[in-house]
Amino acid sequence: MRLPPVIMDNGTGYTKLGFAGNSEPSFVFPTVIATRDSANTGASGTSVPSKASHLSGNIASKRGIEDLDFYIGNEALSNSKTYGLHYPIRHGQIDNWDQMERFWEQSIFKYLRCEPEDHYFLLTEPPLNAPENREQTAEIMFESFNIQGLYIAVQAVLALAASWTSKKVSDKVLTGTVIDSGDGVTHVIPVAEGYVIGSSIKHIPIAGRDITYYVQQLLRDRGETSIPPEDSLKVAESIKERFSYVCSDIVKEFKKSDKEADTFFQKYQGIHSVTGQPYEVDVGFERFLGPEIFFNPEIASSDFLTPLPNVVDNVIQSCPIDVRRGLYNNIVLSGGSTMFKGFDKRLHRDMKRAVDARVKRSEELSGGTMKAKEIDVKVISHKKQRYAVWYGGSLLGSTPVFNSYCHTKAEYEEHGPSICRHNRVFGSMG
Amino acid sequence: MILLDNHNVVIEETLTQPIVNNNPTAFDVKVVDFDGVSCHLSTLESNSVIRFSLSMLCYKELVQWGAQDMLQREYGPYCVSDTEEGYDFTLEFNLQNLPKDKEQREELVNKLAMIKRDLLAQPFERAFEQQAKFEDEKQTNPHSELMQIHYRDQEAFYIQAQLDRVTVIFSTLFKEDTDKIFGKVFLQEFVDARRRPNIQNAPQVLYSSKEPPLEIRHLSELQKTNKNEEIGYVTFVLFPRHFTRGDVREKTISQIQLFRDYLHYHIKCSKAYMHSRMRARVQAFLKVLNRAKPELPNVEKKTITGKTIVRT
Repeated sequence: MRLPPVIMDNGTGYTKLGFAGNSEPSFVFPTVIATRDSANTGASGTSVPSKASHLSGNIASKRGIEDLDFYIGNEALSNSKTYGLHYPIRHGQIDNWDQMERFWEQSIFKYLRCEPEDHYFLLTEPPLNAPENREQTAEIMFESFNIQGLYIAVQAVLALAASWTSKKVSDKVLTGTVIDSGDGVTHVIPVAEGYVIGSSIKHIPIAGRDITYYVQQLLRDRGETSIPPEDSLKVAESIKERFSYVCSDIVKEFKKSDKEADTFFQKYQGIHSVTGQPYEVDVGFERFLGPEIFFNPEIASSDFLTPLPNVVDNVIQSCPIDVRRGLYNNIVLSGGSTMFKGFDKRLHRDMKRAVDARVKRSEELSGGTMKAKEIDVKVISHKKQRYAVWYGGSLLGSTPVFNSYCHTKAEYEEHGPSICRHNRVFGSMG
Repeated sequence: MILLDNHNVVIEETLTQPIVNNNPTAFDVKVVDFDGVSCHLSTLESNSVIRFSLSMLCYKELVQWGAQDMLQREYGPYCVSDTEEGYDFTLEFNLQNLPKDKEQREELVNKLAMIKRDLLAQPFERAFEQQAKFEDEKQTNPHSELMQIHYRDQEAFYIQAQLDRVTVIFSTLFKEDTDKIFGKVFLQEFVDARRRPNIQNAPQVLYSSKEPPLEIRHLSELQKTNKNEEIGYVTFVLFPRHFTRGDVREKTISQIQLFRDYLHYHIKCSKAYMHSRMRARVQAFLKVLNRAKPELPNVEKKTITGKTIVRT
């Protein structure tokens, strides 16, 4: 019986771990490692491990086990008083290989409980990852862990694959635009036939955390005094997660909410974390104003003013002309901050408007002699959106051809880590 | 983390919601544990029935040594006869028929998370029982069989009760050359470490490569692979003080059966440690190299009035 491949999605904020074939990752915890040496500044902080004094006498009595004294994930956070916290991944890329190697060590043996020699592994990487990083990863995976085979997939491509579960998707293609919005940054990534169009990627500095801050600010401005100040961020976050939605038009929504005040205004119940006293918070317009900052960024910030639909449109317009239809046709959402109700409809409407206006304009400019074929804009939202990248990995990992796409240990030994510079794309699958 | 845990966190977390908190939700999860154990946890049509299936390589052998009885004893009411395809046994939990007491339900989940350990513990328990009979002079000496458990494709462990001891022999195989060397150092270390005064009471450990120990030398499968130089044998000699009933016995069983994973885990940790030292060393060398760059010899230098001085 073939054991399922291991799917590891190490993100800047959270790590998602699990086995292929499952619909949800078995573990989701922060990508953080707590070690004994004090948390010092990042780059220069490659602390040289002390040399084991095994040169004389009995080895066992003298060798330390400091290198095993560390925690990862939630355990690391709860031990932050006595240990130093390190974040081995920065901006999606692995920053400290020593820590990452140890992070993987514990992820595999303590959490997943599997012998890496028995499994194939699927890891993820951000778009535009340097091939050197891929080589390093392969080196660690094959040399330290002796894994059977490795596939390093681009996160955006996996998110595309995850959208195959949606009913709206008729044919399984790897062409589309991925909008990946997590906690820190939102990326818009065009993918053609499984290859990322690197020159057209755009990042937007608006994501989950900004919405939370904005909701927090709204609550504060309104004078919700019942919220204990130390819990204020947490309250804002859970209000965002539980009550928020995207409306079609702010002005109309304001009017509508005034009319249907009794169903619109809701109450958030919380318990004071110190005194244990229950308290109530009124939830009002922040329900739709929070996510609105994607579409009208000027209401919250003054340094980034392009609405998300325009960014997506610009990204697609900067791509080669022959893939643009495919990109408009398959806009895929991924990450927790795209989970708001109505997000897909609003994005679809705004994009459709912009595209139609442009088509109409070019028809006018041609003097009525040319008739354009209508461009189909489709935004795909599905149930697995939150862990879309992991789920896409799980989906690909459970296909029977997965192993043949992997770089195997034998190949690695034959050619060296450079084989991982290129990954065969799951092109003609499904 | 020096020792590996015995319970499976995924099983525990998946089952806590429905069983302990009685909160039925649909799920379908496949879980893997060390040494090719795979479980399938799923809910049937109605969310209130949970199916738990498990497969492991050596299940047939474990049945011989009492695994089935253990399942009957511990999970009697939950055992079902129609086993899920591809798995060795299936348990079904109807959420309506669980114990009323919350603590009992918690205990049930904890037990399920340890199910692999409990299954593998059976041959150990049996050997310990037999050994007790040897000790007891009133009882006739039992015929003590050599229990073989092929828990991986090419690796196995053997347990035999003897007059005053129980011997556990692991055969180990390393696929990688580096691992072989690390493994050898480690295993030698196990033998040496016992000389230290504070662990005099630890079980005796013997290590031999290539040549199987006398206890198992007669086995036909070993005679065939006798020439295989990659296989090493680790023998643990357990005396009755290591398996006095109660916590000591349970702990001995738990730790010995994870021996192989423990060994491999630590080999991997040592490699990671070596790698980090290698990286640190490379950085140090790079620093030296950067410092060793020659200064540019013929730099044009100007005086304040703009004249150029050329050094000869």
